[in-house]
Amino acid sequence: MSDSRSSADGRATILVVERDPHIRALEALFLNEAGYFVEFTDDGASALEQARRLRPDLVITEILVPRLDGLALCRTLKDDPDTRGIMVLIFSILTASARARDAGADAFLRKPLAEQKLVDTIRQLMARRGEPAAETSA
Amino acid sequence: MIEDRTPAGQPSADEDAELPRISTGTASADRILGGGFPAHSINIIMGEPGTGKTLFAQQLVFHNAGDERPILYVTTLSEPLAKVVKYLQKFEFFDESRMGTSVVYEEAGTELAEKGIGALVPMVTEWIRTLGPKIIVIDSFKALHDLSPSMAEMRRVVHDLAGLLTAYDTTAFLVGEYAAEQMATHPEFVVADGIVELLRHETGMRDDRFFRVRKLRGSSYREGLHALRLTGGGVKIYRRLVSPQTPRGYSIMRERVSTGVSGLDELLGGGLWRGSTTLLGGPTGAGKTTIALQFTLDGVRRGEPGLYVHLEENPTQLEFLVEGFGTDPETPGLHLLYHSPVELQIDSLVDEMFGLIRERGVKRIVIDAVGDLVTAVRDPQRLHDYLYALSQHFAVNGVTAIITFETARPGITGGYSIDAPFSHLSDNILLLEAGIADERTVRKLRVIKTRGSAHDPRLREVEITGEGVKIL
Repeated sequence: MSDSRSSADGRATILVVERDPHIRALEALFLNEAGYFVEFTDDGASALEQARRLRPDLVITEILVPRLDGLALCRTLKDDPDTRGIMVLIFSILTASARARDAGADAFLRKPLAEQKLVDTIRQLMARRGEPAAETSA
Repeated sequence: MIEDRTPAGQPSADEDAELPRISTGTASADRILGGGFPAHSINIIMGEPGTGKTLFAQQLVFHNAGDERPILYVTTLSEPLAKVVKYLQKFEFFDESRMGTSVVYEEAGTELAEKGIGALVPMVTEWIRTLGPKIIVIDSFKALHDLSPSMAEMRRVVHDLAGLLTAYDTTAFLVGEYAAEQMATHPEFVVADGIVELLRHETGMRDDRFFRVRKLRGSSYREGLHALRLTGGGVKIYRRLVSPQTPRGYSIMRERVSTGVSGLDELLGGGLWRGSTTLLGGPTGAGKTTIALQFTLDGVRRGEPGLYVHLEENPTQLEFLVEGFGTDPETPGLHLLYHSPVELQIDSLVDEMFGLIRERGVKRIVIDAVGDLVTAVRDPQRLHDYLYALSQHFAVNGVTAIITFETARPGITGGYSIDAPFSHLSDNILLLEAGIADERTVRKLRVIKTRGSAHDPRLREVEITGEGVKIL
């Protein structure tokens, strides 16, 4: 079980691995509004390093990211006892739910970004994890 | 359970399913588009001013307005919002209760004029954040070019906007008064997944309007020009007739149908094949309408609903002729469909005809006369394709058809020629002649061609009596 850290102000932390600037901008808008603390990176290798260092509550990753693809990132996190407890949501343009399952992901969503689906999915993952739920905006 | 969100490994609801579609609010346009516009796409609705683009877009908007996520309609520099809404209220699809809640109008022209075209993407981002629209319409998008200092800048903005609209779960419609040549120069056409065009052609004293799909990524669609009308109900579109995919039913073609004309069945080797199309030609006054009507009424008497499409005789004249046969024009199973040749639009006529065939089980049909269709359709190839497809549809549906056509009066001595460019499209050709001999009108009929029958090719005299036409 990992020892995920919340942000300094107590909000749950999400690490987003995404190259598309529009997806990043929209995720920043919606996830901040939903009460989460969001960190971004745009490649899998950096994401792995940050995940090990930050211990986020959740990693949201596209499959098509450089240096280490999203599925490999997921497998690496799930194979490591120190990071196994980090929830992973594969959020991709690809229809790859089966491959996401094989990689050990906790959930799969296909793009485009629909804020309600995304936020609902994250809330369910957080609840499953048994960690304090994120603050919700009014 | 959250729709579409699944634990990893289980196919999400939308993963393997057909592409979700956005209905246009017009059933035939949806069929042309293979079910509607694919959701999560960027589409252009193009056409010259007055072709019905805004009406088409508004109809789509109100059709899709629901209680969940709203639809955003952004006006720019072309028409003031107040003007758009003022005229919108006249249409049946307009629903005032949707305004401001499920249909949200925003005016972008003023702010963009002040801040420049670069402000567009931040504005749309803010609308996405605050409204979460499932559909975004920008009308007119082409007018935004006037705010751009260069095509390069416009290209950058369009690229950025396309990125945003693709990232977010929405379907976008960019409406504009684009000419065809601007498809090659304006960057929005590069990013568009779908392009539909509304056109207007002058035909004599009237305008013919058409709808055409120029491009639709990831979907099949029906090509070509489809007739369009602007009505109080909004835009009405008639799908272009093409040949049926189902082959002719040859089992149907093995059954004979009586013409109802005494002596004619014998000339044809026993009657017409069910599902066949017959051209009946002759000069004015030779008896074409009488024979065609007799054929229709004979079917009605036998329990086969008949449709008589008349493009020349006005409704009163035709009802008078029907009564002359001792038949009430209101007889169940008899359908008289009149279209003024002046206002005739072939696609809407076909739409009505096939509606009656489907709904009333029509088994015999007459089109009187094909010459009026020739006048209505300027493009001979288009008419040729239409008549071919029409005869194929009749065959597939087991509908036996007679199509009349007018010939020049050749004189009773013969030497005539068939001036019917569509003769090869028909199964049978019958030609009437009329002339004066001994101070009386003499009418004759010859079977020129029958498909799949041995016929009597001799010229036979025709008599018109109180009971109708007889072949002597």
